Amino acid sequence: MIGKCFGILCIISVIFAIFTGNLQGLNDGILEGASKSVTTVISLIGIMTFWNGVMQVLMDAGIINKLSKLLKPILKFVFPRAFKENKGANEITACISANILGLSNASTPLALNAIEKLNEDRDSDKATNDMITLAVLGCACFSLIPTTVIAIRIAQGASITYEIIIPVWVVSGICMLLGIILSRIIGKISGDC
Amino acid sequence: MEIVRKISLFVLPCVVFLVAIIIMFGKKNYFSSFLQGAKAGFKGSIALLPSMCALIVSVSMFISSGAERVFASFLAPAFDKIGVPSELFPLILLRPFSGSASIATYEEIISLYGADSFIGICASVIMASSDTVIYVICMYFSATKIRKTRHAFPVALFISFFCVLLSCIVSRLFLNMI
Repeated sequence: MIGKCFGILCIISVIFAIFTGNLQGLNDGILEGASKSVTTVISLIGIMTFWNGVMQVLMDAGIINKLSKLLKPILKFVFPRAFKENKGANEITACISANILGLSNASTPLALNAIEKLNEDRDSDKATNDMITLAVLGCACFSLIPTTVIAIRIAQGASITYEIIIPVWVVSGICMLLGIILSRIIGKISGDC
Repeated sequence: MEIVRKISLFVLPCVVFLVAIIIMFGKKNYFSSFLQGAKAGFKGSIALLPSMCALIVSVSMFISSGAERVFASFLAPAFDKIGVPSELFPLILLRPFSGSASIATYEEIISLYGADSFIGICASVIMASSDTVIYVICMYFSATKIRKTRHAFPVALFISFFCVLLSCIVSRLFLNMI
């Protein structure tokens, strides 16, 4: 995917610059981009290192389990079948807890586990409603602390840094709710597999 | 608004405070957990460099060649109608596909238009509230033989489109209040 993104952007830019005679601008763009990538990554190293350490402590101290316990009564309504058959329910709650905390390294393997559990004893190549809701929530999840965005904003000398959490909470919260509602409604209309 | 703003300033210190308490009074040696996590974070961010380098170069080429302006000006009337600045077009385009490509684009937009401008705030909210839809869904189903993901893609893509619209509305309100 990364390779394709890179390839398409470069090809379009080169062809475009040749046709518009903007090769000087393109040359500057290449050199500036390459040196800018180093400053971007360096500005991320500090907060990523610290934040990963913080999150590891919370994980080892069982914070995902605690958040899972809080979320379980709510998620019962979001994933009715998984909770009724008690298949994959624990994996689902752990995955969503990790997602909310922004632990994407932890949430992806948990999601894979959850979907494998949900797929046990099934011989269909169609996804069930609960799997779809989980996948939608993997893409549209409430984001508690958007560390990467805050780190880049600080590196770019923004004066609005931590306050960005406010609009992010509003937007990511509404998107998560809408994601749940839409995937449930469409699932209900089209029937489960 | 002032209260909400104060709360937002508390979130990060509170988490750090909690971690400090755990390290001080926890039964296990939690500082070694911290070091272990920090090491992984350090390695992870260094490992970003090669792909970030390629992607930032390509995004920078796309913008400096003038191609981005032409595409954006084509789309500007439509974007204007829904209240989205057309400068965000490369970010909206790449966000569903790749995390590092969208970080690269986000960084470029912020440095071009300013982090505290309306465009910068919008880009930040979009970046933080949406995800790499196509990558995530492919990933989630990759371990099983499920090929028919039914309404997963339509719903997730609709939500990320909706997220862009909502980000712009909320960012505007946010900037008026602050």
